[in-house]
Amino acid sequence: MLDTGLVLYSGAFGLILIGIAGIVLSSHLVRIIFGVALLEAGANLLLLLATWHEGAAAPIIVAGRVPDRMADPVPQALVLTAIVIGVGILALALSLALRVQRAYGTLDMHEVRRRMEQDIAGEAGIDLPSSSHAPAAVQTARQEGGA
Amino acid sequence: MNQLALLVALPLITAFLLPVVNRVSTLAARWVGPLVLLLTSAIGISLWPQLGDSAVAVELGGFRPPLGISLYADRMALLFALATSIGTLLLWPSRGEEWLRQSTLALILAASGSGLALSGDLFNIYVFYELVAVVSYGLIAARSSAGSFAATLRYLIVSSFGAALALTGIALVYQATGTLNLAQLSRLAPTHLNNLQGLSAFVLMLIGFGVKAELFPVNTWVPEVYATAPTRVSGLLAGVVSKLALLIIVRLLVLVFNQPEALTVMLVLGMLGVVTGELAAWRARDFNRMIAYSSIGQLGIMFIAFSIPGEAGVFAGLAVALHHLVVKPAMFLLAERWQGSLHRLAGAARTSPLGAALFVLLALSLIGVPPLPGFWAKLLVMVNLMAQENTLYMAGAWVIMGGAALEANYLFRVASSFYHRSDEQSSPAAHRTRDLATASLLGAGLLAGAVLIMPLADEIEGIASQAASKNRYVQTVNPEVLP
Repeated sequence: MLDTGLVLYSGAFGLILIGIAGIVLSSHLVRIIFGVALLEAGANLLLLLATWHEGAAAPIIVAGRVPDRMADPVPQALVLTAIVIGVGILALALSLALRVQRAYGTLDMHEVRRRMEQDIAGEAGIDLPSSSHAPAAVQTARQEGGA
Repeated sequence: MNQLALLVALPLITAFLLPVVNRVSTLAARWVGPLVLLLTSAIGISLWPQLGDSAVAVELGGFRPPLGISLYADRMALLFALATSIGTLLLWPSRGEEWLRQSTLALILAASGSGLALSGDLFNIYVFYELVAVVSYGLIAARSSAGSFAATLRYLIVSSFGAALALTGIALVYQATGTLNLAQLSRLAPTHLNNLQGLSAFVLMLIGFGVKAELFPVNTWVPEVYATAPTRVSGLLAGVVSKLALLIIVRLLVLVFNQPEALTVMLVLGMLGVVTGELAAWRARDFNRMIAYSSIGQLGIMFIAFSIPGEAGVFAGLAVALHHLVVKPAMFLLAERWQGSLHRLAGAARTSPLGAALFVLLALSLIGVPPLPGFWAKLLVMVNLMAQENTLYMAGAWVIMGGAALEANYLFRVASSFYHRSDEQSSPAAHRTRDLATASLLGAGLLAGAVLIMPLADEIEGIASQAASKNRYVQTVNPEVLP
């Protein structure tokens, strides 16, 4: 029989690791945003587990009877706040991704970054930062890609 | 002392009432925001003499810690809360089509920034930190260009990543101690957090809160955001918000995590920040990104300074932070008309002589040329680094000196191009009066600081010694539980 605590803790750390890996390794914006959501879920679960006991009851006194073991209600209240913040930010991120997709026609992080650098450089009236040092072949490819 | 809560509550209420006020009278809606910030600044200033040597804790709603939430104000916290109010007032968003939304967001930024400075509870800090983050996304995206949306989204991802890491750190702290009140944590830390779990919690929170403080590995957003956001917002983020994040990290270091390993991590990350920031600034070819990268370097110096153990570190770090707080927003105000390639700036002194003169003054202070406050701040950091007699701290001193040499190189390069006679008639436009007036005010403050350097240094030392005292914090928040 598996220990419940072990399962829960490995779930929390697993979610955190999957989230970080998703943010760092994916190049699709929506996947990255989902990575952030998973990371937040892992952090929230870890916060809940901070005072978790096997078989602890909710800290509510019913009919004058006090349960033997009560769960600490503070992290639960905190996690509620954190979830609300997380959902709000998720919605904001998705709406921004929508705007970016409409403007650039892509959700690929590298492509978005390249286009953004182009926009910034174009507005500032300078060449792309790295173009002067890139090999000629890359430069032509870049110019064609940008056109 | 209950007025302390007004610093947070007043701008917040006004922000939500602003759209309603606008229905009744547009004129009133335009002025109510700055007036409220003026009022909160006045409240803050009136509280200053009362604080004196003693700090104050306010229990919100009359609930005692650990269950209740407490606000804590020593002179350092009040100073940064004041800086938030005054900074937002000086960098009030300019009148565009979106002025109503921008004003609302700026007011919420003032409220949550003050809350961040005054908060005495780890979870409250997290909530205010997220509030500052969300508000700044709205402010950055104000230009509604494709580039600004992309930069905001990339910033949002880094920032949410950091916030989730910080939350993980908070969970680890709660797991070990069962409290989030900073005063109680500081009592429990020597027995409960002086281990690997405590150190990992600190590193997670350092990286998490370090996103806003432009800490080395999580500062990729800085050049993109400062190049696409309105310059006033960039000034506010680089000048004020980064210092608030720094303040939290310092509080955590002083009260909870005073292990030598924690200081070493911060020192190394700060050094990497100086090296990468200054080198990138040296290579930058447009004005905005040059000052953006240079602010990464400057914040690296602050991290190095705060990593010096004891009161000396807080004193040195506070001096550099306050100097940067004045200089950087002024730089960004000048950037309003100087955006774009550095080549275009040739001959800018002809169209905007005062602006060019101000830039030279700010640059000299930033590099650390003797009579100006920047010199004393850097000297203080150097002397204290040398006094540690430790190879790593010595390396920190060398890194700062190398950074100053690079700074001198790229800032003088720009300054001298201002005074070049350019053949083309394409010199940049003159500054708007409002930007120039605000920048001049900050420049005048810098000069005043240079003249009054001795009393100023005494005052900052007083603030630092108050902030570096762990016992004072515990005593003020929770008198009876002192060991």
